[in-house]
Amino acid sequence: MEQMYCYKCTKCGKLHHPHYVVCQNPDCDGREFEKLPLEGKCKLLTWTRVYNLPEGYMKPWLNFGIVQFENGVKASGQIDFDDIENGMELVSTVGVVKEGIGSDHYGFIFRKA
Amino acid sequence: MRQVGIVGVGHTKFGKSEVPFIDMLCEAALEAMDDAGAKTGSKNVIDQVFVGSMGAGMINRISGSASAVVDALNLRPAMAECIENGPASGASAIKLGYMAIASGCCDCVLVIGGEMMRVVSGWEATDFVATMLHPEAEYKYGITLPCFAGLFTRLCMEKYGVDNRDLAIVSVKNHENACHNPCAHIQRKVVLERITNPAYINATNPIVADPLRQFDMCPVSDGAAAVLLVAKDKQEELGFGHKKFVRIAGIATATDTHVVANREVPTDLLAVRLSAQKAYKMAGMGPEDIDVAELHDAFQILEIAESEEVGFFPRGEGHLAARRGDTAIGGKKPVNTSGGLKAKGHPLGATGVSQVVELVRQLRGEAEGRQVEGAKTGLAINFGGFGNNVAATILTTK
Repeated sequence: MEQMYCYKCTKCGKLHHPHYVVCQNPDCDGREFEKLPLEGKCKLLTWTRVYNLPEGYMKPWLNFGIVQFENGVKASGQIDFDDIENGMELVSTVGVVKEGIGSDHYGFIFRKA
Repeated sequence: MRQVGIVGVGHTKFGKSEVPFIDMLCEAALEAMDDAGAKTGSKNVIDQVFVGSMGAGMINRISGSASAVVDALNLRPAMAECIENGPASGASAIKLGYMAIASGCCDCVLVIGGEMMRVVSGWEATDFVATMLHPEAEYKYGITLPCFAGLFTRLCMEKYGVDNRDLAIVSVKNHENACHNPCAHIQRKVVLERITNPAYINATNPIVADPLRQFDMCPVSDGAAAVLLVAKDKQEELGFGHKKFVRIAGIATATDTHVVANREVPTDLLAVRLSAQKAYKMAGMGPEDIDVAELHDAFQILEIAESEEVGFFPRGEGHLAARRGDTAIGGKKPVNTSGGLKAKGHPLGATGVSQVVELVRQLRGEAEGRQVEGAKTGLAINFGGFGNNVAATILTTK
């Protein structure tokens, strides 16, 4: 089972997603991070349904959203249902977000809580 | 610091290019050189050529295009470099040309922006543009620029009351302006009723990235544009004394988070605001001094949001200004007299240069059919990524 992570600065404690080289806290210069699972409940901030998908997606459309997790971390991902509204409570899962030749790409797929 | 200005402009017809990529760049370059009276061969005075392009290496399999252009135009041994900053490559190339002259390294710089995108399918072009997004947090999901524009628009609708009709109003205005621009990709009027009536909207204006529809975003275009920059203290000596000197009063870029989800206020376009503020400060001007503007309307919501970020209208009221007609030619703040990216077209690397060409034509009083009367100062915003690297340029004849 694939796992998604956030990255905690070992100097100031700020959480990041995705991984950064230097801590994004303007008052910190940390370069080391503790890797923590990023999962569970989240709130949908905004969403869209896209019909002109790029190369490599054999679907008529895909739903995308930006969510905020309970720990404050924000992330983009795919949404696997169609009756979507801003502010909905969702739960994050990890699945194949793009099929590849030899290896698939895994990422967030948000479902109804 | 030395004064730097523009003495020559050139612009191909945007749309589908009939000539190869390098020839297209040369067509714009030669028009700019002829406009200024610049010579080739032993009479060449151009020290440096910059070419702004995002994807020639990727989609046209052509790298080193600046060197190829110098050779094709017989400008050797002028210096030549390519500049890449996504869809803001053109304005970045102008900024580097400005810096080269202002610093004293050069006296005369030719800047060309160009992109040839219609050689690939729509989905390949969409994928190519999306390569500037974060590879792990965005690109791998299938997220594209229209996707981010849809996410952004929904937030603006919720927060400020922007609606689909507002986006259509901007689109109709820019199509109207493009009818007077012979270089525009789509020179066709659009009737508001035709693209907003619920009875047939899904046929005339289908959804692309909900809530965005086809007329809420720009087409895929080929095209090139060029400007010839010169130091004010060398204008006469280099043979350009007969041309009106359109001074670059302010030019700046600013950056924002690469990962769009990580922006503190998701409806802000921070890099637009910061680049404009830097350019205003450099010019000793403010939004009240701007007579005409070219804003980066790759999506119509961006024209509205940028018109607020550059200080033309209060936050959350850009759409109200569009409804009132404030951004039309003849309005308080004419925006995208060229037709904007929506109708003039958006060949990525060309766009920043094309915007400056339009402003030069406006400030010279040469924008036939779309002239803003008495325009003396103009602002261009060229938007890279989904706002993570933005360029602001202020031109003036004052």
